[in-house]
Amino acid sequence: MFENFLSIMIFVPIIAGLAIFVLPFSKEAARIIGLAVSVIVVLLGLKVFLSFSGASGAFEFVEHIPINESLGISYSLGVDGISILVLAAAATLFPMVYLLFQTKQKGYYANLLIVQGAMIGAVAATDMVLFYVFWEAMLLPVFFMIGLYGGPNRLPATIKITIYTIAGSLLMLASIVYLGIAHQAQSGEWSFAMTNLVGLSLSGATATLAFVGFMIAFAIKIPLFPFHTWLPDAYTEAPTATTFVLSAVMAKIGVYGVIRFVVPVFDESFARYALILACSGVIGMMYCGIAALAQKDFKRMLAFSSASHMGIIALGIFCMNIQALTGTLYQIVAHATSTGVLFLLLGIIEERTATRNIDDFGGLAARAPIFAFFFAVAMLASVGLPGTSGFIGEFLIILGAVKFNPLIAVLAGTTLIIGVCYMLWLFQRIFFEKPNSKLAGFGDLSAIEILTILPIVILIVVMGIYPQPFLAKIEPSAQRQMAIIEKVQHVAEYRLEPQKSGQELKTGDR
Amino acid sequence: MTHTVTYLGFIPLLPLAGALLIGLIYVVTCQGKQISERLYGILGCVGPVLSFFMAVKVFFALLSLPAEQRFLSHKAFTWFAVGDLDVSMGFLADPLSSLMLLFVTFVGSLIHIYSIGYMAGDQKFGKFFAYLNLFLGSMLILVLGDGPVVMFVGWEGVGLCSYLLISFWSEDTDNVVAGNKAFIVNRIGDLGFVLGMAFLFWGIGADGFDYLSLKANAHNLTAPVGVLVCLLLFVGATGKSAQIPLYVWLPDAMAGPTPVSALIHAATMVTAGVYMVARFSFIYAHVPAAGEVVAWIGILTALLAAIFGMFQSDIKKILAYSTVSQLGYMFAGVGVAAYSAGIFHVFTHAFFKALLFLGAGSVIIALHHQQDIWKMGGLRSKLPVTYWTMLIGGLALAGCPPFAGFISKDEILYSALANGHVGIWLIGVLVAGITAYYTFRMIFVVFHGSPRDQEAYDHAHESPRVMLIPLLILAAGSMFAGYANIPAIFGGHQRVSHWLAPSLVEHHPHSGVGLEILAIAASILAFVIGISIAYRKFTVQVDEPDYSGIKKFAYHKFYVDELYHKVIVAPYQFVGKAISRVIEPYVTDAPVQASGWLYRMCGLAFKVVQVGYVRIYAVYMVIGVSILSLLLSRSLNF
Amino acid sequence: MVSHYLFLSIILFCLGILGVVSRRNVFIVFMSIELMLNAANLGFVSLSRLHVNMDGHVLALMVMAVAAAEAALALAVIILLHKHKGNLDTNIFSLLKG
Repeated sequence: MFENFLSIMIFVPIIAGLAIFVLPFSKEAARIIGLAVSVIVVLLGLKVFLSFSGASGAFEFVEHIPINESLGISYSLGVDGISILVLAAAATLFPMVYLLFQTKQKGYYANLLIVQGAMIGAVAATDMVLFYVFWEAMLLPVFFMIGLYGGPNRLPATIKITIYTIAGSLLMLASIVYLGIAHQAQSGEWSFAMTNLVGLSLSGATATLAFVGFMIAFAIKIPLFPFHTWLPDAYTEAPTATTFVLSAVMAKIGVYGVIRFVVPVFDESFARYALILACSGVIGMMYCGIAALAQKDFKRMLAFSSASHMGIIALGIFCMNIQALTGTLYQIVAHATSTGVLFLLLGIIEERTATRNIDDFGGLAARAPIFAFFFAVAMLASVGLPGTSGFIGEFLIILGAVKFNPLIAVLAGTTLIIGVCYMLWLFQRIFFEKPNSKLAGFGDLSAIEILTILPIVILIVVMGIYPQPFLAKIEPSAQRQMAIIEKVQHVAEYRLEPQKSGQELKTGDR
Repeated sequence: MTHTVTYLGFIPLLPLAGALLIGLIYVVTCQGKQISERLYGILGCVGPVLSFFMAVKVFFALLSLPAEQRFLSHKAFTWFAVGDLDVSMGFLADPLSSLMLLFVTFVGSLIHIYSIGYMAGDQKFGKFFAYLNLFLGSMLILVLGDGPVVMFVGWEGVGLCSYLLISFWSEDTDNVVAGNKAFIVNRIGDLGFVLGMAFLFWGIGADGFDYLSLKANAHNLTAPVGVLVCLLLFVGATGKSAQIPLYVWLPDAMAGPTPVSALIHAATMVTAGVYMVARFSFIYAHVPAAGEVVAWIGILTALLAAIFGMFQSDIKKILAYSTVSQLGYMFAGVGVAAYSAGIFHVFTHAFFKALLFLGAGSVIIALHHQQDIWKMGGLRSKLPVTYWTMLIGGLALAGCPPFAGFISKDEILYSALANGHVGIWLIGVLVAGITAYYTFRMIFVVFHGSPRDQEAYDHAHESPRVMLIPLLILAAGSMFAGYANIPAIFGGHQRVSHWLAPSLVEHHPHSGVGLEILAIAASILAFVIGISIAYRKFTVQVDEPDYSGIKKFAYHKFYVDELYHKVIVAPYQFVGKAISRVIEPYVTDAPVQASGWLYRMCGLAFKVVQVGYVRIYAVYMVIGVSILSLLLSRSLNF
Repeated sequence: MVSHYLFLSIILFCLGILGVVSRRNVFIVFMSIELMLNAANLGFVSLSRLHVNMDGHVLALMVMAVAAAEAALALAVIILLHKHKGNLDTNIFSLLKG
């Protein structure tokens, strides 16, 4: 059998997508091709996930083909505990999109396929230049999907997200080049491989600048406050499937990028600015969460909710301890499932009723009990109820935050309350109260819709009750990352000491 | 020291499985032909009843062991383990949890049976039983969990179920709002719980995060962290057990069906906070300062709720405030380090409060969902069984000497006095008097005198047997439950206190008999005064009085809800609106918009050059070429 | 001697520029451009004479070839423009105005 699973998972969707563009397929044929390819990717993804051991914390499924020897650029892929869950999310969530929504044109399916391939590539890449290529490749299909197939105000939203992310990407590109130069200066050879860049000792103003470049790129993608302003517009105007892709997977790749690249390479700068970044995460969580309550458009509300949760997820990285980091990695998938289901269900409502105004709804629980049940499970996972996937990650992050900084932890903990406030309100307005006569024809989910969403709902519960198999795959790699950071923290403390004693000497002289 | 028994896990699992099964059947069939109510009822009751039998089995299994070895445990699997944190999905039955287990499953089962009659004919009959089972299962996880995190699963689970059940009749917006309020207020408390757990973990959790390990390491906890942990956990308790300042959800929770009120208020959920404090007695015992806070908040809540209870007109709200008030007593008990007394009051309260609620439900059903006591009256002859059982419950609640409530309440008050908390004791005695007053105000107005609404009275009829039998059983419990812990002064042995001893860290006060007699005499005096005022005022025919002045203030519950709305809810919504309408578009997004604006301005500036005439472009070219050639010539040094 | 030819070439070139810049008829502008090309040719040829090699001649021939091709194209464009607007005033062709 073949062994380069990752390459296949990347290039089969991309090639299929390009083929749909070029060859004269009908809309239906394009959908079936998309579905078939995504199912293949799911199978491969499951294969990778199940045979990934993670015990050592090192990369597995490694592929390595040099591209440019003199510049040290290579096509190298690999999976470790940090990327495995993001990879699994990117690989497995797509078939639902093809099964649930079918009114779009064939180009839409082509874009979906390409974006999937690019995302898997970004997650699997272990060479920074390769990562950058895939990172940019992710954006292009999103541009088309929102710009061509989005809602009525799609153009401003498209321009905003595109310029925002391109700006971030260019800063990152500059930083990547700087890393290559730094590696050349320190070891005499060019290299962009993660394994080599980790060993760099970076300090000084330029390194901080490069760190900022990386952080801005990822902060825009996650999004971290105050770089989130593209998100409500883009999520609202994008077609549901795109919103789903953006919220469930693409935002997570931003978080993943921070953990994979920023933490180990810029360990010193990261440790120094962690508190500021953590504040940004917490403020974003509260800001977006409170704003969510005031939305009239349910998609926009969910967009703010998603941004709010991303704040907490990002916080877990900045707390710099093993519990919080593992919590973040776990929450990446937990949030992908819960928010994904919510967006899909609301997308179904939008398709059927052609409205997104919360005030137009009411009493759906009586009309569509299965729909309401699925929504309730996803909602509870989203607010972090124990027994659902949302709790484990959130608990670990808050636990870690307490060690990092109790005040931040208290503020982060308010997510328990803030999340419930808008979610319950949304649930009340859509599912409870008097049935709205406008929704008289609203039936329950069809069999195919139930079968599509049910696995994710089951996954939400399973991940809440038995998370250990997932955590066991993550933890060794997370421990490795923590070891890097802890080393730096010790160094930082060590550096502080002589300064202090120096000052004491000075005061003594006086 | 602990013995492993695998069947422990089944105790919560049975109701949960019932919930899943009933829920599935309901969801599948609710659009078409539903299965019969009888089948739903049987399915719903099987889980709780079996759990009760297993609880009895656990009790006897513990009884057969020597006192200090009474710990049965079962670790089902590792739930999550990261770094030093190791949480397993484990269950622990020790004297404390087995006592809770017994009455939770017992009272819970009775309420399930009663519900078959109460909910008869409801459209969502099956859904109700699914929720009820889920509720009981969550409560059993809470009680049986072997560590704080597992407890938290049940803790949140009962919060969720209370939300689902309070907003059960969801067509009515008020019910849903009440449900939301319950969930959100509970969540505020849960934040305290989570943070408390986190501090506890970083304090002493590295060697195992279950009760037994924590208990063994409790002495390593530094005092400031200990106080912090205790207070944060207590914040959780104020949410779940409706104490100041988070009690506001509980009276509103009366929006749910009456069996739900009984389940929430008597056997499950609200007692969770008291159980939790008792469970963590190994920490609370080390930090008396935190206990002091708990005791004072408890007794003040008792006083406040009792005052509110005096002026309510809704029969269920009266009982709701009495619950808050009694919970205050329990916290006063555990706060003054009399953990066994507090837990014992939880135990007796479960019986008489469930009885009172179910009795009230019987009255409400008889009068076709009339809940205003000022529209009742003279129902004694129409509903004899309900009347007599509610009278027993009322006497137990009011603290009439031989009944269960008297013995447990007196135990708390005596402990407060003996441990030197005279202020708490005095307030406690005062509240006892008020309790007697409002309880019998309710009973006299509802059952004595003559009917105020003749038509409703004529149609009233006694409830079916399926509802009355639980009432009778609970009435027996309310009469005799107190005998389990008769103090030495009455010739008893305090069996419950001794039973609980291995689970708790407490020191029983040894003070003179005189003090004990004083406490008992004061309690009885308060009861007599309270009941006689009520008798004088309400056995004669009276209508709802028009309250004025301070009474009006109390009738409106000191306007606390309005205050909370003004101070917390409204500003919160305002901030939300402000962010989404002003801050987001004009402040946060401003730099982004500004950069777009800057580009547009630059474009406008450069646009001037683009005149469109070929010859002008030619001029530009000429100028450009000239400058270039000039530079070139300079650099070539001609 | 050669400098006279060069001066003549520069004068012709400047006249061409002036024509391009100041005249409004497309046809005149085009002829001015031709004038500039020929001015350049004159320069090439004179410098070739000065340096005594044939490079300048080659370039001059080359420019003439290009000019011929360009004239064919430009005249065609001019005819089309005239057909289109019925006028050859450059001021009416201002679609590039920003």
